[in-house]
Formats: sequence, C-alpha cells, structure tokens
Amino acid sequence: MKLPRWIHQFGSPKYFYELSLWLSRWVAIVCVICFVCGLYGGLVLAPADYQQGDSFRIMYIHVPSAWMSLFIYMVMAVAGGIGLIWRIKLAEIVARSSAPIGASFTFLALVTGAIWGKPMWGTWWVWDARLTSELILLFLYLGYIALQSAFEDRRVAARAGAILALVGIVNIPIIHYSVEWWSTLHQGPTITKMDKPSIHLSMLIPLLFMVLAFKTFFISTLLIRARSEILEYECNASWVKQLLGSNNVTK
Amino acid sequence: MREYLNIFFVILRRDLILAFRNKAELINPLMFFVIVIVLFPLAFGSDSALLKQLTSGIIWVTALLATCLSLETIFRSDFEDGSIEQFSLSRYPLTLLVSAKILAHWMTFSIPLIVIALFTGIVLSLSSQTISALFITLLLGTPVLSLIGAITVALTIGLRGGMLLSLLILPLYMPILIFSMLAIQNAAVGQSITAELYFLAGILVLAITLAPIATAAALRIRLS
Amino acid sequence: MSKFNVNNLECIRRDNILFQNLNFDLEDGGLLQIDGVNGSGKSSLLQMCAGLIQATEGEVRWNGEDINDCRYQFQSDIRYFGHTNGVKAGLTALENMHVMYALSGAKTAIDYSFVLKQIGLEGMEDILVSRMSAGQKRRVGLSRFFMSGSSLWLLDEPFNALDKDGKIIIEQLIVNHCREGGMVIFATHQSIEIESYPLQHVHLGQHNQTTHHA
Repeated sequence: MKLPRWIHQFGSPKYFYELSLWLSRWVAIVCVICFVCGLYGGLVLAPADYQQGDSFRIMYIHVPSAWMSLFIYMVMAVAGGIGLIWRIKLAEIVARSSAPIGASFTFLALVTGAIWGKPMWGTWWVWDARLTSELILLFLYLGYIALQSAFEDRRVAARAGAILALVGIVNIPIIHYSVEWWSTLHQGPTITKMDKPSIHLSMLIPLLFMVLAFKTFFISTLLIRARSEILEYECNASWVKQLLGSNNVTK
Repeated sequence: MREYLNIFFVILRRDLILAFRNKAELINPLMFFVIVIVLFPLAFGSDSALLKQLTSGIIWVTALLATCLSLETIFRSDFEDGSIEQFSLSRYPLTLLVSAKILAHWMTFSIPLIVIALFTGIVLSLSSQTISALFITLLLGTPVLSLIGAITVALTIGLRGGMLLSLLILPLYMPILIFSMLAIQNAAVGQSITAELYFLAGILVLAITLAPIATAAALRIRLS
Repeated sequence: MSKFNVNNLECIRRDNILFQNLNFDLEDGGLLQIDGVNGSGKSSLLQMCAGLIQATEGEVRWNGEDINDCRYQFQSDIRYFGHTNGVKAGLTALENMHVMYALSGAKTAIDYSFVLKQIGLEGMEDILVSRMSAGQKRRVGLSRFFMSGSSLWLLDEPFNALDKDGKIIIEQLIVNHCREGGMVIFATHQSIEIESYPLQHVHLGQHNQTTHHA
C-alpha cells in the first residue's frame, strides 16, 4: 500500500525539524496556561470532597497521568507500526521518544495512587485492579526501554521495539480484563471514589484543564525529544552538517 | 499446500532430532522445574496447610520460569550457524518454518513439563479436581507461553544481558497465569471453570494466529 | 531471460557511508566479483542484493521489479551463502542435505551420495557435522548449490576455509552455473583468478567504488 505524497513530505526529517521548533513552543505555552488554570481550579477553587476531604485533590495529577500512560502506549504502538510498515523514520522517532515519557506518566500514576491510597485504604499499596494493570503497564514500558538500549543500531532498535509495542497493545486489553477479573474474585470490587460519575462541575472543569495540560506537555516534550533524536539519526545528512556547522557546534 | 505441509514436517523433524541429540538442553530446564518446586516445601515446612493451598500456584509459576529459561535456546544455534538466514531466504514463508520450530519446542519441552507437573501434583496430594484443572490449563496455557516467548526470544537473540528476555516475557505471561490460577481455584471448590477455559482457548487461538507472524517479522529485523 | 539490476545503491552502517551511487547489471550467464578491503561493505552489498537488509537509498531489481515487491518469485530464484554455513552441527551431512533440499524447493530428485562425491566428502553421509573440520563444514554448506532450482547465486567469501581442491571445485561449480545461463555474484578478499570465464568486477573502497568489465 502506498501512502499519499504529502505524508512522506511531512515525515521528512528536515521539514519536521523546522516545523517542530515552532510547534513545540506554541504547544508549551498552551500547556503552561492549562496547568495554571487546572492547578488553581483544582487546588484552590474546587471544594473539598465531603468524604475524602482534601486528599481527593491528588486526582488532578493521578487521573490525567493514568490516562496518558495508556494513551502514550497507544501512540507508541501506532507510530511503531507505521514505521515498521512504511519505513517512515519520523514514526520510528516518535515511537522511541514516547517511551520514556509514557513510563514517567505510568510511574507518576502509580506513585500518586499509592499516596492517595495511604489515607483512603490505610496502606500504600493495595492490589486494586487499576493499580495492578498500571504496574504491569510500567513493566511493559520498562521492557521496551530496556530493549531499545540493548541495540546499537537505532533503526533496528526502533523496528524491534515496534514489534514489542504491538504485541503489548494486543496484550493490554487481555491483561486489563484478566486483572479486573482476578481482583474482583479475590477481594470484591474496590469502590474507587475517583470514577464516581456524578462529579461536580467545579471539580470536573479543573480536571479537564489538567488533562489538556498533560496532553500538551506530552506533545511538546515529545517534539523536543524527537528533534534531538532526528539530529542523531540524520548526522550524515547534508542539512544536519550544515546546521551544526553554521551554529559552530562541534560533534 | 502439500509442499507447505512437507516443509513444515521437515523442519519439525529436524528440530525434534536436534532436541533429542542435545539432551542436556532438553533436560536442564525440566530439572530446574523440579528443583524449584522442591524449594517451596523446604521454605514453608513439609505439612503446612499453607503449602497445600499454594501447590498449584507454585507449579504454574515455576512452569513460567522454566519455559522462560528453555526458550532462550530456541533460535540461538539457528541464528549463529546461519540457518535462520537460510530460512528467511527460502521460497517458503518464514512464518511457517517458525511455527514448526515453535511446535517442536512445545513438544520437546512442554509435554514433559506437563507430565512432571501432574506427577508432582499427585505426589503432593492435590485433589483430583485440582489436578485435572491443572492439566487442562497447562495444556491450553503452555502453547501460548511458547508462542509469545518465541516473539521476545527472536527480538532479544544475541543481545547482551540474559535477563532482558525474562523482563520482556514475564509481563506478557501474566494473563495466562491469572486465568489458569482462577480456573484451578474454582475447580478446587467445585465450581465451573468453563469461562476461564474459554478465555485461555481464545488467547491460544489469538497467539497461534499472530505470534508466528510477529516472530518471523522479529527474526527478519534481527537479521538486518 | 532474467535480469538483475542494482540502481543507485547506498549503504550506511553505524553512521558510516560504506558506498553510494552503486550501479551494476547482470544478465543470464553473468559472473560478478565484488572485491574490496575488510569493512568496505562487501557483505552488506551481498545482503542487500539478497534482500536481507534494506538499502538506505536506491533499489535492487529482479526482472525489472523491485525485489521487495516480488519477494516470493525472487526468493524462489536465488540461493544465498553467507559467512555462516547454514548447516546444523547436530545433524549428519545427509540430514543437513535433506533439509537444504526441502528448503530449496528443487523439483528434480537428487542423488545425495553423488553430490557428496562431487564436493569431496565421499562416504561421509552419516558423519555428524560437529565432527567435521571447518573446511568440510563449509563444503556441506556449499552442497546446496548442487541442487537445482535457482538461477541467481549470491556467495559471500565462498572460498574461506577451503583448501586448494575445494577452491577448484567451487570455481568450477560457479563457472558451470554461468555457462548454463545462471548468474553468480560473489564477494571475496582473496585473489581469485577465474580465467576461463569473463568476469565483471565491482570494487568497493572508501567512497570510490568502481565497476568495470574484464
């Protein structure tokens, strides 16, 4: 299957390198605005929960990072698959650069989950279905990163990683479902206050801001990481040599 | 079609012959399996009620670890002596050839493993329902372990760091462990285990369909 | 009539450009030698010709079609022999040949003991390959070229580990294959003189590869 020409043009590293600088700056600005709004709304404006008190506020970090952890894995697998099939360098770069960010969000979700769990459940760790799935997801991320660092050749690493990510993405629903089943059987469904659907609007709006902030944070860090990866990938290309030469940067 | 069947059996036969000539590689992971199972009574005491509860879980977890160890060699020598290169350049799909190799691994490693596991179950006086559930889950689960394992082995072959393989495989094995143990626990209290078995069978079908393709793709990447 | 073309090929390995703008054509009966110093990209070029690794730039064509678009046909028509012999140490010479024969997809039956005789391993059918010397192992691996069914041969350092007799056998094998209308590309760093047949050369060096006809 052939892709339309404009995709290849956009996928060309040089074009992307120029565009991404501009893009990452604007996205970063949006990110900062959303963060400020979200944090102010969540920590100051939103009322305390009638049951959980102020400790529910950690949800403004926990929920978006949990969402992002899954979302970034999907980005990684899809980008990896595109790189594998159509051999687009940019897709490989996106997949590779996403992994550490995704792993960080997963870690953040776990840590915030544990912090929230301490006052709620009385212990740092409970074998709750969500937390357990999140932990396995972290293992998948770490496996991907470990595999990446074991290769010398970046392109081979990216393509091998793509296969692992695709295997992972097929597995994630199975893992999620099995863990859900397992935890309900072992301890009865844990009622998580976090996914109570009737969340008040004054709590919800800051949450949406935070989600947007996390998303834009991901995009702008991804762009920055991808830019430096591109330079490493393309260190033989004439435009990189020119760029480095004109900035008086020594290799 | 006949041609494809023929090459499938040629490769299967080749791997079976190789496995039986290299007995150490065949037996060592099985020995590991037995020895690790013996460790648990030593740790928890011989007649504790706790141990009885844990036995089937211990057998399953040890089976995962032993599979992990035994898989390491599935492609290694073929990769080193250029057989994989020849496979990938033959006129037959690499997916087919790889499937034959995976089947050979399952036959030479997992079948003895299942037999030993059942024997262990009987010796450690598990109830007959538990043993039959153990048998069925191992029968449905171990092919998946070989299939998923083959992908990760193909990805990590010849890379430095032997632990890498286990790091990649074990998270992918978790659903199999969970469903199998749920089935065994249900069987022990006399409940129906069809739901779990359907799930295991579903995963098996999925793995049979997709894993050889992914393994072949991974091997091609590793050849470049 | 078959045709093998290499157009504008580029190879970058570990951020080093091994060769660029490499072109050559081969037709029925063509014999081509790739030479160059160690690390000049001989093996990479052969692997690209076989489709094992992807060129960073340029294309390899078989009968006018990109080899990535006609994989099945291409792989049915080629036979590749790399640094490794592609034989199992745990199998006997005969068992190895059975597997090679099955993989080659050759339609005509072969006389295994006759092939072994030709390759200089007469009567060694049932000897385990692990018991053989390096040269003998190499010969077992090369026996796949005595099985019909491929027109383009790609050989990477075929003369390695072979003694004088072995070299003559392989030279003869290559020349015969070309005489019958086949094509052969081989890479070697040894000074092999095939005088009985017109030879094309590709010379790989630091960025300045040359192609010329003998």
